[in-house]
Amino acid sequence: MMKFGNLLIAGITTGAIYAMFAVCVSVWYRVSNILNLAVGDFAMVGALGVDNLYRVKGLPLPVAIITTLLVVAAFAYVYDQIVLRIAQDGPRRMDGIVVTFFFTFALSFFIDGVAKMLFGTDVHAAPALWNGDSLSLGSLHFERAGLLVLGCAVIIGGAFWVYIRFTLGGKALEASGENSVGARIVGIDTRRYRRLIFVGTAVIAAIFGIVESPITGFTYLSGATISLTGFLAAAYGGFRKPGRALLAGLFIGVLEAMLGGYVSPEYGDTVMYAILAALVLAWPRQLGFESAVGG
Amino acid sequence: MTGAAGAAGAAGAALAVRKLSVSYGNVVAVHDATFTVAEGDACAIIGPNGNGKSSILMGVTGMVRRRGGVEIFGAEARNGDVRWAARHGLTLVPERRQLYPDLSTADNILLGCYTWTRSIGKARKSASFGRAMDLFPELKPHLKQLAGTLSGGQQQMVAIARGLAADPKILAVDEPCLGLAEAVAKRVYDALGKIHEQGTTLIVVEEAPRRALTLCNRRVEVRNGVAGDSVAGAA
Repeated sequence: MMKFGNLLIAGITTGAIYAMFAVCVSVWYRVSNILNLAVGDFAMVGALGVDNLYRVKGLPLPVAIITTLLVVAAFAYVYDQIVLRIAQDGPRRMDGIVVTFFFTFALSFFIDGVAKMLFGTDVHAAPALWNGDSLSLGSLHFERAGLLVLGCAVIIGGAFWVYIRFTLGGKALEASGENSVGARIVGIDTRRYRRLIFVGTAVIAAIFGIVESPITGFTYLSGATISLTGFLAAAYGGFRKPGRALLAGLFIGVLEAMLGGYVSPEYGDTVMYAILAALVLAWPRQLGFESAVGG
Repeated sequence: MTGAAGAAGAAGAALAVRKLSVSYGNVVAVHDATFTVAEGDACAIIGPNGNGKSSILMGVTGMVRRRGGVEIFGAEARNGDVRWAARHGLTLVPERRQLYPDLSTADNILLGCYTWTRSIGKARKSASFGRAMDLFPELKPHLKQLAGTLSGGQQQMVAIARGLAADPKILAVDEPCLGLAEAVAKRVYDALGKIHEQGTTLIVVEEAPRRALTLCNRRVEVRNGVAGDSVAGAA
């Protein structure tokens, strides 16, 4: 029972991270119809950037964090203004799979390459923000970094939910993803939302990278794995339902922890992907896969 | 004709269109359309399918780029700026409705208010949102339903209600009865008539002039993308 409880806690912690990345991917896809395959790389830049500025360059931690987040935001803004604007808004706008995958996929490789030059290839992590032994409640153990991750997930996820559900701007965001012509009729600037959410999710990803990295450590290649899991969880919501993507992310995290703990640490991931694939085959429509294909 | 349009413009036309052209790539959809709509008019833009009627509305409201001039209540409209047009009183109810299928009926209508506010509270309490809701009591039971699951007629009503929520002085309605059954089409026209009675200037694009002309006191005929010269005064 104790083992189950601790595995559950670990699973929910990683699940919360997957969930947040899945939410970031699906919210942006809703607005822009582009899958952000670089979202994990922003997390990696957050973690390694803070580590580099703090440990190597010797800046105070708050300055290192703020600088890193500003750089990520500025980079995302410039990327949107130059690349995505030419791709989606220009006189020769592109449609289909090129826009959906290519540009963010390329961006992911680009960020990885730059990170390799700047941060090297070793495993690093941002310094722990909340130091001390893990907290215990009876026989259950809570990592402090894990609690921070959960706290951030609840706050940021909650803010997203309130924004989409209860504000006119949030509804406009949904509308611009559903029907861009209909959105323009009521004066919604679809491009502005695309930029806003892209920059916003890049910063959120970087924050999660910073908070989470003390648990797992990051290399310049860590981003791709995170993007992939976020992408996978988002797929379970047809890429358009952030709420479902969140649940899917939590589910994948818990499943991963349970399989690792009870089945086999080596083959846990293999079994997990087999289960995930089986779920898709069994209930494609209910899991949102048909709507993803049908647009 | 241009002179007459100028005179009408001076007398306070709601909408003055001068030498409007709209092209898609090399295809010219509208060529030099010139007409005016006075405040309080109900104006029908009629003509066969594919002759540029919708493109006139798209150009006038700024949904597509245009050449030529458009004045809304005397102010020169910015090219390609839908928001500007909406803020100055001209709102489009587009062909094929262009709703947001996965949002609720109420949210679809509410988003019309986005043209003039960012506050959901102000939008909900506004007179224009209230007017839109009152005009279609039959939508009341469906407010929480997703707009994509409504019938065609109901969706058309939602599209018109969304246009009204934008608080327009001129409502431009594109093919409101496309694909609707006769009884439903009649209901839509009753609503348009009521909107006109309440003082909103109306522009209706129709392929079938019969219905439009029961409501409209003015018509603009479009043939092969040319509209200006065939403006016929009061019908």
